[in-house]
Amino acid sequence: MAFDDYKADYLLVMRAEHGSVAPAFISKGEEIGDVRFDIPYQLITVLSRIYPQIPKGKIAVVVRKCDELALNELFKRGIIDGKRIFKIGLACDENIIDKCRCPDPVPSKVDIGEPKKGVAEDATVTRLRKMSPDERLKFWVRQFRKCNKCFGCTITCPVCFCENQCVLGERTLVAEKSIPPGLAFHLVRSFHMADKCIECGECERACPAEIPLLTFRKMVHADMKELYGFTPGDEKTVSPLLTTLEGEPLEDEKNVC
Amino acid sequence: MTEFNPTILAFCCNWCSYAGADLAGVSRLQMPPNVHVIRVMCSASVKPEYVFKALSEGIDGVLVLGCHIGDCHYLTGNHRTAKRFPLAQKILNDVGIDERRLKLDWVSAAEGEKFQTVITEFVSQIKQLGPNPLREVKF
Amino acid sequence: MSVKHVLTTCPYCGCGCNFFLQVVDNKLVGIVPDKTDEIGQGKLCIKGYNAHVFVQHPDRLTHPLIREGSQMRKATWDGALDKIVSEIKRIVAKHGPDSVAVFASAKCTNEENYLMQKLARAAIGTNNIDHCARLCHASTVAGLVYSFGSGAMTNSIPEFENANCLLVTGSNTLETHPMIGARMLHAIYSGAKAIVVDPRETPLSRVAHMSLHQKPGTDIAWINGIARVIIEENLYDKEFVETKTAQFEGFKKVVSSYTPEKVEEISGIPKDKLIEAARLYANSDRAMIAYAMGITQHSNGTETVKSLANLALLTGHIGKESTGVNPLRGQNNVQGACDAGSLPNFYPGYQGVAAAEMKAKFEKAWGRTLSDKVGLPMTVALQLAAEGKLKALISFGENPMMSDADITHVEEAFKHLEFFAAADIFHTETTKFADVLLPAACYAEKDGTFTNTDRKVRRVRKAVDAPGEAWPDWKIACELGKRFGAPGFDFKSPAEIMDEFASVAPIYAGISFDRLEKEVLTWPCTAKDQPGSRILHVGGFKIGRGQFALSQHAPPAEETSEEYPLILSTGRNLFQYHTGTMTRKSPKLEREAPEPYVEINSGDAKALGISEGDRVRVTTRRGSIAPMARVTERISKGVLFIPFHYAEAAANMLTNPALDATAKIPEYKVCAAKVEKA
Repeated sequence: MAFDDYKADYLLVMRAEHGSVAPAFISKGEEIGDVRFDIPYQLITVLSRIYPQIPKGKIAVVVRKCDELALNELFKRGIIDGKRIFKIGLACDENIIDKCRCPDPVPSKVDIGEPKKGVAEDATVTRLRKMSPDERLKFWVRQFRKCNKCFGCTITCPVCFCENQCVLGERTLVAEKSIPPGLAFHLVRSFHMADKCIECGECERACPAEIPLLTFRKMVHADMKELYGFTPGDEKTVSPLLTTLEGEPLEDEKNVC
Repeated sequence: MTEFNPTILAFCCNWCSYAGADLAGVSRLQMPPNVHVIRVMCSASVKPEYVFKALSEGIDGVLVLGCHIGDCHYLTGNHRTAKRFPLAQKILNDVGIDERRLKLDWVSAAEGEKFQTVITEFVSQIKQLGPNPLREVKF
Repeated sequence: MSVKHVLTTCPYCGCGCNFFLQVVDNKLVGIVPDKTDEIGQGKLCIKGYNAHVFVQHPDRLTHPLIREGSQMRKATWDGALDKIVSEIKRIVAKHGPDSVAVFASAKCTNEENYLMQKLARAAIGTNNIDHCARLCHASTVAGLVYSFGSGAMTNSIPEFENANCLLVTGSNTLETHPMIGARMLHAIYSGAKAIVVDPRETPLSRVAHMSLHQKPGTDIAWINGIARVIIEENLYDKEFVETKTAQFEGFKKVVSSYTPEKVEEISGIPKDKLIEAARLYANSDRAMIAYAMGITQHSNGTETVKSLANLALLTGHIGKESTGVNPLRGQNNVQGACDAGSLPNFYPGYQGVAAAEMKAKFEKAWGRTLSDKVGLPMTVALQLAAEGKLKALISFGENPMMSDADITHVEEAFKHLEFFAAADIFHTETTKFADVLLPAACYAEKDGTFTNTDRKVRRVRKAVDAPGEAWPDWKIACELGKRFGAPGFDFKSPAEIMDEFASVAPIYAGISFDRLEKEVLTWPCTAKDQPGSRILHVGGFKIGRGQFALSQHAPPAEETSEEYPLILSTGRNLFQYHTGTMTRKSPKLEREAPEPYVEINSGDAKALGISEGDRVRVTTRRGSIAPMARVTERISKGVLFIPFHYAEAAANMLTNPALDATAKIPEYKVCAAKVEKA
């Protein structure tokens, strides 16, 4: 990988450092180092923390398909200026595709890696849909009761941008010092993510309690598709939750959750 | 066998459905007592958070009543409610809570009788569904 | 525009998770968990995700301060350091070097702790060096050294995942060690059976196979009860006991009187449950014991630790994968601080101060004559200060005014001290007594290493500059050492300090910053080509044989009475950390647990007319505070629980400073109290 390949001032990649794999935001002129693609980091989240501090310059970032979709959601809401981002498409390998149960792992332009086929379905989702509501509730209660309120799912999520005004921090919704937070915490999060979640799976990977969060997202994703024919991740379509019944966007809806 | 007495919340918008509820009361229309009415300015101000919190903590049913489409005091408020609702129900279904515990309906200020019908039918629906299984769950 | 992702270790608990600090132009903007980290595996707890928030807080200390009457005035580093040294020299000349004590810090790096104890020993001439391990796992160090020869966690954190039986006692693991708790959850949800013994129903109790509630202070009884069942039912590992242990016959005799009936009478644990737990622990081949303050913070803490160790010796569940006795160390570097010798009776590497050949070794290494008198533990030092017998104290990052038992007497200690110098990152309840206050750099502003609870030595890397004129503690210690005229305080970097530490402490001999760049090393790591040792006591004990302890149940130092009918226990919660110096400056953490509270059983509350949210007054023979009541069924009847994080209702105003005879650790977990509506 060389800077000259990209008309960018900065490069955001993963690279080997101190025996670990680290995100690296490299300025033009700095050494790039040993770039790695095997550990699925959420670079868009990393970018969104740094971006407000970088007033100008183009940033080249390695994106998987899900990252591309996340960027579209952020472009749409004016949080990141699309003209400043140069995407380097990374096709995921089978290992990662399997872990994410990803149906669509090929970015719009593949610069690194070989395009591989996606996985048709998430086995857990299929199993859950076959269960009765009571059984399903038992499953989810057993999972969600492990939650230790680390907020990792919200912090690592690329499209979770309401950092300091998040409703999950309101005492009226989630009482302080409640561990685990009630089911409402997870239901509210799902609702708020419904029109933004691009299923990168980072929430599930960040959960210390190994709750199958990605599975729940996939269920809600299917709901959005069924109800509104809407899939998050394209640059133009406004979320159906922010439009009138006729499909007209509601006023002042840009950065509202 | 003790009869199941459900606890139900009804969010009623100030301009239409709450007035309709008033009308039902003034007209002395009989309604089951299980419903706690909460007045809000617009059905759109009923955030999904309230609904999810209520159901997670064991409330057996949640009713949201707003103005008829086209009649919203804030013009497009009830559009927002109408758009949100099906998604909230689907999410409840995904987690395993019966989506019929959540209902959206439109009741105008003049529709005292409709208010009575909506309440009575909802209470009987909830009675049929039984207590919210989350009542027993100690998180 | 400089953007860095700096890999460092979390400054909060003993899990020692690694993450990247995101820095843009010397400003901390976020945290990214390290996905290849063995402990965290790309996950963190809420404190970890907020570990950057307090660092650049406006209240950070930025300049040295010297007291003038009731005011603290800004001073230069030279002025402040010179004043400290001249005062200490004066006091030493008048009262001798043992009239001075140094408190090192479990929050500071290994290199800094090594220098702090060297400062006390080589520069000032006293072994009065200690730190807050005295308040948490001092009984572990004493107890396990007796039982096994080594006071540290015997196995490693990832092994919890593969255990098939977990005996967790005195540890609210999901709240105090979230990432270890996460491993336990994984094991439990994969079928492992957890036995949790705690007077409260903690988040871990709720998912455990068996949740037993004992009366606080009765642990030796139920532990001996379990041992008796294992012996009676022939479930113990005869070969292991015969070949690898000593004192079995004496032990067998002692536990024979702890019948399930007697145990139920003493502790409240139902006898059939005790028997079930014993069978479960003995019959599982990958059975791990994990414990923390509930076992250690008692007036018989050392004996309690030894009795837990007995169970491992009895069943042979030690020295193998997913077994062992695992004390969960609290602070990010309390293990390291102990390793580096910040203890009054041990040189670095647990080499005894009282041993003549050790003294000779260190005198040679440091080029100074050393004292052979074992020093004062922190708790005893403060008692002597209150009596006017200890004259001076230098404290690095300790907050005894919040963390020590019976704060009223701790205050006496500070008021009586002739001279008190402190280094810290924020003003605390303790620094307000300082005659000289030095601004220190925190973990994000210096290089060094922390050693976590499973003995892994991990790098801490500088990410941003310290605020104002704050210095890292190693630099402060060096400058003080030089001014005392001692040799060996001329270090240019923490790497050099680690090299010296490795040269005098065999368990760290193979550790260097170069190696830590490429690998994580677990001590004992005795040579530069040795990878370190994940599991201790494999194949046997260095002391020859594991020692059974003949521990007997003894009541706590203060029992309930008519005037004080309830048992008060103190502890922690997930969102705040210890004395709150860092977490109370972090808005998202403060939001989660902003107010002091007391947990009271719902039955007890009803009888006293107390409802949830009422302000109540909790009183003991030491003092009285007024927290908010949290009425819950998740605590045993007759027991109260108060977390010690809140200065406005400091739990340690109430606690009993009764000390364990060997370890000198206070009895934080049991004292007698009364509650009434405020």
